[in-house]
Amino acid sequence: MSEAMRTAPTKPNRGYGRWTPLWFLAPAVLTLFLIGIYPTLFALVTSFRRYNITRPREGFPFVGFENYIGVLTDSTFWSSLFLTAKFYVTVLPIQVVLGLIIALLLHKPGMGFLKSLARVTLVVPLATTYAVVGLIGRLIFNRDFGVANQFLGFAGFGPVDWLSTPGGAFAAIVIMDVWQWTPFCALLFLAGLSMVPGEIEEAARLETSSKLALLRHVQLPYLLPGLTAIMILRSADVLKLFDMVFVMTRGGPGSATDLISIYIQRVGFRIFDLGTASAQAILLLIITIIISRLYIRLLYREV
Amino acid sequence: MTFLRLDNIKKSYGDASVIKGVSFTATKGEFVVFVGPSGCGKSTLLRMIAGLEDVSEGQLYIDGKDVTYEEPAKREVSMVFQSYALYPHMNVFENMAFGLRMAKRPEAEIKAQVMEAARILQLEALLERKPRALSGGQRQRVAIGRSIVRHPKLFLFDEPLSNLDAELRSQMRVEIAKLHRSLGATMVYVTHDQVEAMTLADRIVVLRAGLVEQIGSPTELYDKPANTFVAGFIGSPKMNFINARVASAMGSSLLLEHPSFAGGKLDADTAAASRAKVGDTVIVGMRPEHLTVGTAQPVLSLTLDFAESLGGSTQLYARSEGEPVIVLASGRPELKPGDTLNLGIDPRHIYLFNAAGLAL
Repeated sequence: MSEAMRTAPTKPNRGYGRWTPLWFLAPAVLTLFLIGIYPTLFALVTSFRRYNITRPREGFPFVGFENYIGVLTDSTFWSSLFLTAKFYVTVLPIQVVLGLIIALLLHKPGMGFLKSLARVTLVVPLATTYAVVGLIGRLIFNRDFGVANQFLGFAGFGPVDWLSTPGGAFAAIVIMDVWQWTPFCALLFLAGLSMVPGEIEEAARLETSSKLALLRHVQLPYLLPGLTAIMILRSADVLKLFDMVFVMTRGGPGSATDLISIYIQRVGFRIFDLGTASAQAILLLIITIIISRLYIRLLYREV
Repeated sequence: MTFLRLDNIKKSYGDASVIKGVSFTATKGEFVVFVGPSGCGKSTLLRMIAGLEDVSEGQLYIDGKDVTYEEPAKREVSMVFQSYALYPHMNVFENMAFGLRMAKRPEAEIKAQVMEAARILQLEALLERKPRALSGGQRQRVAIGRSIVRHPKLFLFDEPLSNLDAELRSQMRVEIAKLHRSLGATMVYVTHDQVEAMTLADRIVVLRAGLVEQIGSPTELYDKPANTFVAGFIGSPKMNFINARVASAMGSSLLLEHPSFAGGKLDADTAAASRAKVGDTVIVGMRPEHLTVGTAQPVLSLTLDFAESLGGSTQLYARSEGEPVIVLASGRPELKPGDTLNLGIDPRHIYLFNAAGLAL
């Protein structure tokens, strides 16, 4: 270094060279490559091969789009996808409306301590592992000693066999998902509401006494970025929703809660047809990307 | 005719009392300015008139109606905020039309009102723009336009010019004054800038620490300040104060002593002389613009510290015993630091206050 300094005294010693930034980025890029990029590329390649690991003697030949054609003509794939869509359009409006109500209540001035407490409480469902949510769900909706039936009993209804009837099981996973994700919506909406400058809200209060008009015309534009984020994250999340449902119902009874990721898991790890499962996963990825782009195109606005 | 009436209005946040009982009335068409240093409660008072802050105690009447506990939107007041508070996602037209739309007026009337306001404020070319594409002065105009389209009973302004640069500020000041004249509306205006207060107001309310110090027309406040606070706040540069001692008081003649006075003594002619006692402290106030340099009969004799030339006039900083004295001299007097300044003043322009700061 001192030699270099002497021969090129005009160049300041910056303490780092051309490649220094690379070393700072390398760990993150490497990690991302190992857990994200490589598996995705592996799945992409696998999706073009016949790849059933219970029959290794047949080898893993490339078969072109055979797996994709198989998947697209598989009625179970489509019905799982349809069920997933139904699940999404059921839970999302409930979460958005409940989340918005909670956010509006927390946005009101006053009761500082209770509000901070409520905000902290909202993080608890988010911090809970999906599998644990499923375990809690199994307890809540247990036919004989679950708290859900206990409450129904107080209201004068007989016990419902939640997890072994198709409607009950679907309702149960909807309720658990709403429990887990409503707080997330509430927090994002609360952040949006606190973005509205105080004077703008006050200017509107001088012009209208309607809370609804205030929400619709003044606050809503600040909530749209959050809503877009919710819709993107939730559609990606619902498409990969696995642990909670698997623990609670294993996709049953029958195919009542057989969401797409549970079906793919069965194809990949029960039948061990990794080629088909990879094709399904890649299709899912494409669907997720298309849906996200659509949301951003249709909803997202800079305030 | 009383149009706006504040009746012993108080405001406190918990134990902290911010407004400690303010009463005043304004007639229809009057331009009232609340002025005072930061934290004096002038904005809080304005926000209470608007209904954005709750009134802790007292009564508020607009146009003969008790609106103390009325919702902001039902008071029929409009407000121009310091930050303009335009709706960022609406264009200029929508910003101005919002209040009328909320009031469910017919669309044709809304259009007519907005176009009329846009014409008055020269905003016609900008109606399609979003606020972020406007300059500070244009935003200010839109904010004013938004408040005039609704024909409110009362216009409120919360330091509307403080975010503008100096040139634009004086330009907008003139426009607001013109607007007031052409609309004939009642306006309440908050500022900490005494120049704005002096030029715009029909009546000024001087506030300090939640209390009214004095209410009066700009010239009244300038000529007859009730106390040293008002005397020091109104006028720029600030009034000079000299703490003198009463040497003798006979009839209407009050003889005051201070080393700064020429010859150590000043004979003030005042009706209040009879109330003064020998040995009392009397605060003598003299405005910088009333002091003249190089007079035959000097009142003050001081040493010049330094001079600032403003081109057409010169600010002289002189030193009396402890207290600096500022003189605004016209032209460019030939003076060096250390020179003795002999200053004269018309006896009518000498203000006298007692030790507690109240006018004698």
